[in-house]
Amino acid sequence: MGLEEAIESGKFIVTAEICPPKGTDISVFLSEAALLQAIVDAVNVTDCPRAMVRMSPLVLSSKLIKMNIDTIMHLTCRDRNRIAIQSDLLAAHALGIRNILAMSGDFTTMGDHPYAKPVFDLDSVQMLQVINKMNRGFDLMDNPLEGATSLCAGAVVNPGARPLGFTRIKFQKKIAAGARFIQTQAVYDTDLFNEFMDEFKSVNIPVIAGIIPLRSAKSAGFMIENIPGVKIPQTTVNRMESASEPITEGLKIAAETIERIRENCQGVHIMPIGKHEHTKRLLEMCSLL
Amino acid sequence: MIVTRSKSIEEILDQLDPIADLKICVVGCSLCAGKLKTGGEPEVKNMISQLQDNRMDVIDGVVLKHACSIESWESLIKEQPVISDAEVLLVMSCGIGVSLLGRICDKIVIPALDTVSLGAALNDEILLEMCSMCGQCTVGFFSGLCPKSGCPKSQLNGPCGGSNDGECEVRERKCIWTRIYEVMEAKNMLPVLNKILAPTEYNRGL
Ligand code: SF4
Ligand code: SF4
Repeated sequence: MGLEEAIESGKFIVTAEICPPKGTDISVFLSEAALLQAIVDAVNVTDCPRAMVRMSPLVLSSKLIKMNIDTIMHLTCRDRNRIAIQSDLLAAHALGIRNILAMSGDFTTMGDHPYAKPVFDLDSVQMLQVINKMNRGFDLMDNPLEGATSLCAGAVVNPGARPLGFTRIKFQKKIAAGARFIQTQAVYDTDLFNEFMDEFKSVNIPVIAGIIPLRSAKSAGFMIENIPGVKIPQTTVNRMESASEPITEGLKIAAETIERIRENCQGVHIMPIGKHEHTKRLLEMCSLL
Repeated sequence: MIVTRSKSIEEILDQLDPIADLKICVVGCSLCAGKLKTGGEPEVKNMISQLQDNRMDVIDGVVLKHACSIESWESLIKEQPVISDAEVLLVMSCGIGVSLLGRICDKIVIPALDTVSLGAALNDEILLEMCSMCGQCTVGFFSGLCPKSGCPKSQLNGPCGGSNDGECEVRERKCIWTRIYEVMEAKNMLPVLNKILAPTEYNRGL
């Protein structure tokens, strides 16, 4: 089932993320996609995450479409001005890509080209507005398009960010700007997540919670240090430190997290550190397969 | 205030390399660069001795009152006659002063500073990224605070996902949106923040 059908049907949505290669060898990307094909509703393809140069998500999303895998293409505001964003959206539509995750993007100085010029011509709210305008057959300046897009736009929210004041406002803006689904930053602190979701009970678009199974105590430390906005409770770090089989412990923690939040959200989004070799097992552990 | 930083001596020598046998005058600026200690009297003196250590032919150094606002090249020479004997001006001012000198004189003009930000001086503190001259000022929606310059990602509709516990994910300072929220709350202006702002109209004033 593709993402839009999954949203329509009201089922608990499962998505997973693959990162394009740094280089021209796409064999690992394709084998990862094949692993996910039967077990998720759609596969996210990231857009140079952490501002590292990688292959364009446009071409890899289109490869997935050809394999009959529905895809959610990430599109950041970091590297493109409003002309390039609209150009890529038209290209995405032509390639059969139907879901776009609109995001600001990690800042340039985080990545492997710290001296790159940060673009940020639009912000994510404005990008959502552009997508909706193009769906109605117009570009940002109201010029008519020869053929409208039919794109389902999604947005990102960090439910762990505090204080909630502005997160609340921006979330509402994203919905008003036409977001049809939300994918969240990785959730470890389920209390923070549930508190956030309680605030937004009335929101009627699906919120798909991000899950990153930890692989080791070290990976927890790395995430706290390097992934903006991720909060991992000390108890979780302790469990990883004392685990004899850290990979299994990480999956257990992820499964428990899903159990604790699933009543409060409409899906989960699996983003492993590295490959998807354990994603199927994780989904089985929480009866999502 | 235009905020400048000193270039490394290596980068300066690299620029001077093709013209290493020409006579140099070091030109400072007493305004922003003077205040920031990147192009005032002591910095000009220090630059002269560094260049001499590297066997450059420095004839003198001068500090202009304001390198960004000059009556004419002739009036400048009248005030600082030594400049006219130089073949190269190594300029310790912001990019505006460098550009202006490059335009009005027949000397070779080389910058000694990097121009990094439009800032503000608050007592002894220098606040960076106060305005990025976007050309369409929208700070009226934020009671004067500027997210286009204060936020490295130029977000106009609220903080990015990396803003956490009030801190910016990019710079070591408060997220500008935390400040905006606090200011708007204190001034009973919070509802204004619900408005979705359209993309900036760049270039409209040029
Ligand atoms: S909105 Fe534009 S003009 Fe106004 S302070 Fe910010 S950068 Fe400067
Ligand atoms: S943390 Fe705040 S100031 Fe920093 S980039 Fe994000 S929105 Fe901008």
